[in-house]
Amino acid sequence: MESNLAQQNPDDPRSELAVADEARQRLAAGLRLPRGLHPALAAAVAVQVCAGAYGIAAQTAAGLAVALAGVAVLMGVAALLLYQFRRINGVRVDGLSSRIVLGTGGTSTLVYMVGFGAATWAAFESRWWLVAVAAVAAGVGYSFGTLQWWHAYRHDPAAHANGASPRVLAALAALACLGLVALLIAG
Amino acid sequence: MAELDPLIHAPARLQVLTTLSAVSEAEFATLRAAIEVSDSVLSKHISTLADAGYVRSRKGVRAGRRTTWIRLTGAGRQALREHVAALRRLIDAVD
Repeated sequence: MESNLAQQNPDDPRSELAVADEARQRLAAGLRLPRGLHPALAAAVAVQVCAGAYGIAAQTAAGLAVALAGVAVLMGVAALLLYQFRRINGVRVDGLSSRIVLGTGGTSTLVYMVGFGAATWAAFESRWWLVAVAAVAAGVGYSFGTLQWWHAYRHDPAAHANGASPRVLAALAALACLGLVALLIAG
Repeated sequence: MAELDPLIHAPARLQVLTTLSAVSEAEFATLRAAIEVSDSVLSKHISTLADAGYVRSRKGVRAGRRTTWIRLTGAGRQALREHVAALRRLIDAVD
């Protein structure tokens, strides 16, 4: 099982680099996303946007509870998806964690912000169908951003593997909840 | 100018560090499958790299089984970058 080590010329730097790169590509090519990741993520984001928009517009204790429940749904789904990814593949990739939990990256952030803003405005205007449309658009865009990252990662794993560590993500999630509470109390 | 790192010069160790650069942390068996070496060979290389501070390992659980998880440290990432740069200069010099 000493495989390709024996096949290469150890004195040839080009061969050394090629074999090392092959091993990295083999690992990256073997990674699989959990089944249903994109629809589950899109649905969780849509729920969170709906709940957040309702909570901000309601400006009541019940609204606050709904908004926090929305965040909890998103964090719960994200944690489950990341656990499944780690269990299926035997690796942790912080770049993926950042995409799923924080929506980092141009497409995800932009679509989420626009969708959340539109949903909040629609909630203040009591246009609930528009809240739903904006939330679904935000969810689909967020999930699409993750898909874009995945393709980029498969193409160049070393360049896209890094991201926020699980501890940083947990701290940011707690901070987001506190910020939402402050926003609603101030409102 | 960065020099070749004698610790990474062994092809299997270069493979370990290069493969770990694609993830934040990898389970021992996953790494072994990617590099295609035996348990004992990988253990030995991980131990050497850990002693140099290039990787860090920890005990963890995967699917209910106790396993070892390995990750590249900042020093390991830097050493890999410099070693690869030195190898590329060698290639350029030959070309």
